[in-house]
Amino acid sequence: MLKATTSLGVIFFPAFDWAISPTHPEREERLLYTQDQFREEGLFDIEGISEHRPLLATDQDIMRAHFCFPSVEAVCTESHRISAGGAIQAARLVLEQETRRAFALVRPPGHHAMKVVHGNRGFCNINIEAVMVEWIREHYGRKRIAIIDTDCHHGDGTQDVYWHDPDVLFISLHQDGRTLYPGSGFPNENGGPRALGKTVNLPLPPRTSDDGYLYAIEQVVLPILADFKPDLVINSAGQDNHYSDPITNMQFSAQGYAKLNELLKPDIAVLEGGYSIKGALPYVNLGICLAMAGCDYSAVREPDYNHASLRESAEIMETIKQTCAYVLDGYFHPPKGDFEKKGEYFIRERKIYYDTDGILEKQREELKDCDQCRGLRLIKTGSSHLLPCLGVELPIDCCPACEREGYEAFASSGTEFHITQLLDQKNKQFRYLSKK
Amino acid sequence: MRIGIDIGGTHTDGVLIDGNHLVAAAKAPTHPHNLLASINQVLQAILTGQDPVRVQTLNLSTTLTTNAIVTGTTEPVGMLVSAGPGIAPSHYRIGDHYHLVYGSLDHLGTETSALDEQDLEEALADCRAQGVKCFGVASKFSPRNPAHENQMVEALGNQADFVSCGHLLSGQLNFGRRIHTLYYNSAVWRTFRTFAAALNASLKGFQLEAEVNILKADGGTMPLARAQQMPVQSIFSGPAASVMGILATTRMNQDLLALDIGGTTSDIAVFAGGQPLLEREGIAIEKRPTLVRAIRVESIGIGGDSSIQVVEGRVTTGPQRLGPCMAAGGPAPSLMDALNVAGMATFGEVDRSLQGLAALAAEHQLTPEQLAKAAIEAALDTLAAKITGLVREVNTKPVYTIHEILTDREIIPDRLIVIGGPAAVFKDLLAAQLGLEVVVPPLYEVANAIGAALTRTTSHLTLTADTARSRLSVPMLGIFRPIARGFSLQEAIAEAKKLLAADLDQAGVALPDDEIQITQADAFNMVDGGYTSGKNIRVEAQVRPALVSRLENSDVALRIAGAL
Repeated sequence: MLKATTSLGVIFFPAFDWAISPTHPEREERLLYTQDQFREEGLFDIEGISEHRPLLATDQDIMRAHFCFPSVEAVCTESHRISAGGAIQAARLVLEQETRRAFALVRPPGHHAMKVVHGNRGFCNINIEAVMVEWIREHYGRKRIAIIDTDCHHGDGTQDVYWHDPDVLFISLHQDGRTLYPGSGFPNENGGPRALGKTVNLPLPPRTSDDGYLYAIEQVVLPILADFKPDLVINSAGQDNHYSDPITNMQFSAQGYAKLNELLKPDIAVLEGGYSIKGALPYVNLGICLAMAGCDYSAVREPDYNHASLRESAEIMETIKQTCAYVLDGYFHPPKGDFEKKGEYFIRERKIYYDTDGILEKQREELKDCDQCRGLRLIKTGSSHLLPCLGVELPIDCCPACEREGYEAFASSGTEFHITQLLDQKNKQFRYLSKK
Repeated sequence: MRIGIDIGGTHTDGVLIDGNHLVAAAKAPTHPHNLLASINQVLQAILTGQDPVRVQTLNLSTTLTTNAIVTGTTEPVGMLVSAGPGIAPSHYRIGDHYHLVYGSLDHLGTETSALDEQDLEEALADCRAQGVKCFGVASKFSPRNPAHENQMVEALGNQADFVSCGHLLSGQLNFGRRIHTLYYNSAVWRTFRTFAAALNASLKGFQLEAEVNILKADGGTMPLARAQQMPVQSIFSGPAASVMGILATTRMNQDLLALDIGGTTSDIAVFAGGQPLLEREGIAIEKRPTLVRAIRVESIGIGGDSSIQVVEGRVTTGPQRLGPCMAAGGPAPSLMDALNVAGMATFGEVDRSLQGLAALAAEHQLTPEQLAKAAIEAALDTLAAKITGLVREVNTKPVYTIHEILTDREIIPDRLIVIGGPAAVFKDLLAAQLGLEVVVPPLYEVANAIGAALTRTTSHLTLTADTARSRLSVPMLGIFRPIARGFSLQEAIAEAKKLLAADLDQAGVALPDDEIQITQADAFNMVDGGYTSGKNIRVEAQVRPALVSRLENSDVALRIAGAL
């Protein structure tokens, strides 16, 4: 009988009664065959691997991570609360030391959801990793956390949530943004003025296989982690790098995913994308679970797996090596970004499109250049569907001056903004104010 | 009239019941090497003065298969196990004749590698050479496609006296459990068959013409003829019989707990709305998980004979048992002795209990009363911790739909039913410790036999349909046939009910249609290349354990047959 050498809690929540639409990739059927594979392989009969149900994320849990406009209820349904609650359960298992590691195998995903949420983009409404990370910091104090996003799409949402946070290292490995949604994730995107270098983007060329991907993990991700020394390593575990995925162009395999987890040794993994539901997910998920539990995964492979035919060309491998060297150097010597400044505020103005819901958001972010703390952040946001709203964020180390200014901005916002949300990480205050 | 017999580790109990009226009850010693003698003794006692022809049903709960496995007196089994990629089948190695045959089916049942005929030939030759006559045949994903298992069964031909075949055992996916279950089923087959023949002969001697059923671990029964094909289902039926006995002798429909206190261990079960909860997948035999459906019973290492120890000033009770309690002539002080010393019981020779505790207490500068109190507290703490843990576990079991997360009702037991020898002694202690109302039902000494007598046949089946491939599968019935592309979930549910009813009918069991419960009914839209290609339908139907009647009276004297 098999035995886990590292205990693993799996929150398996396939949401068999939820879909974006009947034929959407994010539909009821998505984890059906993974469940079949788990059951037939007897995954939860392995000593040391246990199955758990998700918790339910509350409004407060979500408001710690996001500005939701017009309200939390308006942008997220029960399915999102449960999915985020699955990630929270994973964190709880690990931080309460009930299991050494945990894997939240939940849907819908979250890594395209940004700090401000008006609706669904890239199949995501709320960022389930971010809700989890804020829950961890709320209950277990300030921690250094590394999030490694191995979904095939750039984790632009998670990048945005932690853009200014030097306590969170965000590394995304993904198919080159010039060839795939959401079209971002280039090495020069390396964090805000107060967290420079703490965002790392590693775009990989289409047709990268196990060899190239694992090269990037070994040559870039592991050295950066060794330098950053996180208290917790979190894997945003998208499975759409798989060679059979219908909406991407990579050549990664179940063996590759398992090896990746063996190298990365994440404390917590959270499922993101991955839509080859018959040909990839059953094998990839099994491989990840076995690798996380320290069990032998050498015989886990897809029926049609052929390592030689999937391997990338020498030319592609050369491109990968060059990008890796460039990105690694960029972490240790981050080039100073081109930050626009007005008075004592850093300014970012952006337009964000919510592809699933067809919403266009217009956003202006003002971050105070404060020498006492990370700085007060004001986000003014309106959309094609909503009047201008304001988000007021006080960082965890907020100085008295920024705190005063933040609360003044919140109190006086009613005349100008439709809805204002306060996100005070220092005093744990999270609330809304509507226009008078 | 119905007869219920429960063969336990030490005692064999029997009851005769007419409708909802207990007519006779008897107890005899269990002769582990001659179970039939014990059966005959209780039959003799309960049938005295009765017309045996009036008995329509005889239900028997027996430790026959459990004992055979525990004592290692089983037959060698040739295991033919076929798998391809994934967790290696060598991890489930069981018995001395475990043969791997390469071949592979995927989760949809598609053959991805043919069965390796040379592997198979070598395995058969080896078993022939070793004189192995009983077999278990398993392939990974056989409930999705039985082809490889069927091929292996065919190859066995008349080389086998008996073959257990994976997909006919259960429609449930779990390769490891399938392998273990097949092994045990074939290993006890001959023992059970011999016993069944002897039992039939013996019943004729009593002029009994009743239909004979064997108790299963899920609290229901199966006809004796079925039991000879699936003897493994008769394992661990004792705790299930006691759970059904509690149902028969109490009148409760709320959430409750049932505790059966024995000599070495106590068994705890949870009832949700008066229904006993079942194991999610199946019970474990010799720590190996199987597909044998069972009432969920958690064993706790606390019983009347649990030994008392003092280690570095700390008093512990159980889980060891060094023999009977001292009051019954045992070698060392136990929980029952502590209860005697504390004045809560007067069992056997109370003086011996006091001597034993006094000696142990003196070694640790305690009075016998202090030691007794501490030992009882330790036992209650262990029981309470296990009970709380079990309820928490039941309430946090995994679920797979948003609907379940939002509507799942928490099980909050407010009552504890206690049965077993020392039940009455523990009543007030448990009530104080757990803050629950504690009830000791009447007739608790023969509750198992009553449960056996009054329970009915249970059965279940799994049906899957894939309309993209126009295929319907009911593995346990060996049904794999084409269906129309428009086959719907409603049709699938109706088909599952019809097939289960027909199968029970074939086994001689008639049940009203509404007794068949649908426990899962899902239809998943299958999409290929952006378009809906069909539906993946999954239906599970069951006849759950239930009683044919509940007892109205308890005024029957227990007859003792043979020296206990």
